Amino acid sequence: MRSLVTARDVLEGHPSPDGALVLSLTGALDASSTGQAWRNALHLIDVHQPRRLIVDASQLTYCDGAGVALLLELRRHQQSRRLTYEIQALDPAYQALLELYGRWEAQRPEPLAPAESPIEQIGRATAGIWHDVVVLIAFVGQLFLALTRAIRQPGLVRWRDAFVTAELAGVNAVPIISLLGFLLGLIMAFQSAIPMRQFGADIYVANLIGLSMLRELGPLLTAIILAGRSGSAFAAELGTMKVSEEIDALTTMGLEPVGFLVVPRVIAAVAMTPLLSVFAGLLGLIGGAVVMRSLGFPLVTYIIQVKSAVTVGDLLGGLGKSFVFGIVVAAIGCLRGLQTKSGAGAVGESTTRAVVSGLVLITIVDGIFAVIFYCLGI
Amino acid sequence: MARRELSHQTPIIAVRHFTAGYDGHILLRELSFDIYPGEVFVILGGSGCGKSTLLKHMIGLYRPLSGSIHIEGKDVVTAQGQQRLDILARIGVMYQQGALFGSMTLLENVRLPLEEHTDLPDDAIARIALMKLQLVGLGPAANKLPDEISGGMRKRAAIARAMALDPPILFLDEPSAGLDPITSAELDQLILSLATHLKITFVVVTHELPSIETIADRVIMLDKRTQGIIAEGLPKELKDHSDNPWVRQFFNRQVEAAGQPAS
Repeated sequence: MRSLVTARDVLEGHPSPDGALVLSLTGALDASSTGQAWRNALHLIDVHQPRRLIVDASQLTYCDGAGVALLLELRRHQQSRRLTYEIQALDPAYQALLELYGRWEAQRPEPLAPAESPIEQIGRATAGIWHDVVVLIAFVGQLFLALTRAIRQPGLVRWRDAFVTAELAGVNAVPIISLLGFLLGLIMAFQSAIPMRQFGADIYVANLIGLSMLRELGPLLTAIILAGRSGSAFAAELGTMKVSEEIDALTTMGLEPVGFLVVPRVIAAVAMTPLLSVFAGLLGLIGGAVVMRSLGFPLVTYIIQVKSAVTVGDLLGGLGKSFVFGIVVAAIGCLRGLQTKSGAGAVGESTTRAVVSGLVLITIVDGIFAVIFYCLGI
Repeated sequence: MARRELSHQTPIIAVRHFTAGYDGHILLRELSFDIYPGEVFVILGGSGCGKSTLLKHMIGLYRPLSGSIHIEGKDVVTAQGQQRLDILARIGVMYQQGALFGSMTLLENVRLPLEEHTDLPDDAIARIALMKLQLVGLGPAANKLPDEISGGMRKRAAIARAMALDPPILFLDEPSAGLDPITSAELDQLILSLATHLKITFVVVTHELPSIETIADRVIMLDKRTQGIIAEGLPKELKDHSDNPWVRQFFNRQVEAAGQPAS
């Protein structure tokens, strides 16, 4: 590695006839040379164990903070063992430097706070989870009120922000959603066709693709991409606003951050997620069609098979899930952004938390929908 | 505090025919000035006149459109590789917000340049880093994170970090900005003390008048309209005897008269 400083050897030691150890300093004692000198000096002291240590500075041409640190360390070493220490022929300018730095030597750092015991850590983590749940419930309440107000008085909603967000989170996500949906349908059809063909059931690949893409995987894929792409972006945007006190400015201007910032984003996400989900499902079906055609089935057979397998209830169920996923991902992204603390790493932390919380909530909501669909017999 | 004896023989920093700008827009044109060893040199001017831009060019972060900047005889503009590192070893910089690394304690912040650029043993690095913090009065706070201390303390810690490798030149960008008058005055005293005791050359960008009057050995004043230096000298002389009414207004905190340049 290239370095800002280059090492030089400036210290030599030799025992004197009266039993003292003399350390002679020659040239410049600075950041580049002090490292070697430091090691040499402590080694010589260790070997000779001198009762009297003499530092001969008559040949010293330059001494900076690093050099002064060495001289102070040698003094501390000898004095802590009640042994003699002497500096000879030190230039008055460097003597003044030694006094300047030495003046503060007794000032020690305050000790670090003792590390928490495992029990304290578990307690803190549990309290943190509880606090997070309380905050989440309060936020859901605030968001519900704000959305109700938006429905009653649509003129209060910042529609321009909502349209911009819809473009960023929705329209701009179409290519990635389409690609992944197509590949998912293609891979799933191909992987399932191989074993199903052994039983002569490869026509039912169409049923599998149709049901899973429109009812389950399409909405799930869309929600996961939304969490990674837009939930994190919402958290980063609002987090940066929090760090730069823009959220505080909104509050003091009498504007509710949830209504002003969160509602447009939630509306945009809610509007876009079902559409993206339809896109993902449609492209998944096309992926499946490519595989079915390659297996020798006519396209019309595939379409008829899909239509027979998928009901309107399945399609609406998938759209309903997408609708809720959109709310959840946008809301948690905004909440994590609003919870951002100060410091350089805070926005990054909020972004990570937004994605993780989004994925956890998507899974929970998906589980709840599965139970509801089962109970309703859909 | 008594003024220090200053040598005006050979400049430690020499700026010649310096022109800088961005996006086809020239901000500073044909600037030439010298800074001498041991002096506290203040670059001042109204908002947007290019003070911080000039400082960032002087420390090699940006390349000027034309002209040269020499630090101890070495051209900052053309320096590459080891030559550039040699120049960087001779300067320390305190940024406007301190720019301390938030995930590190103050001690770790000061240790960083020593760990990366010297072969000093760990106990030596610990001692030197603590010495620097003690010098700026932050010995007790060495184990705190930047978030846990005040703005003034952060700036002092940033000075300690800038001094870690004992550079002979320190650049300070708006050291007093955002500080209360007492903390600001304490920082001024620290700058004077370091200049006096450690013979450090300071290049300070500021528009805080009390600070300028306290610390400056010499000032240059930049002007947005003329894109150059409109005054150079001792702050007191400029305040009382400058030929330029805009300079007198600036020093006497007067509202600009009709026809005078906007800040």
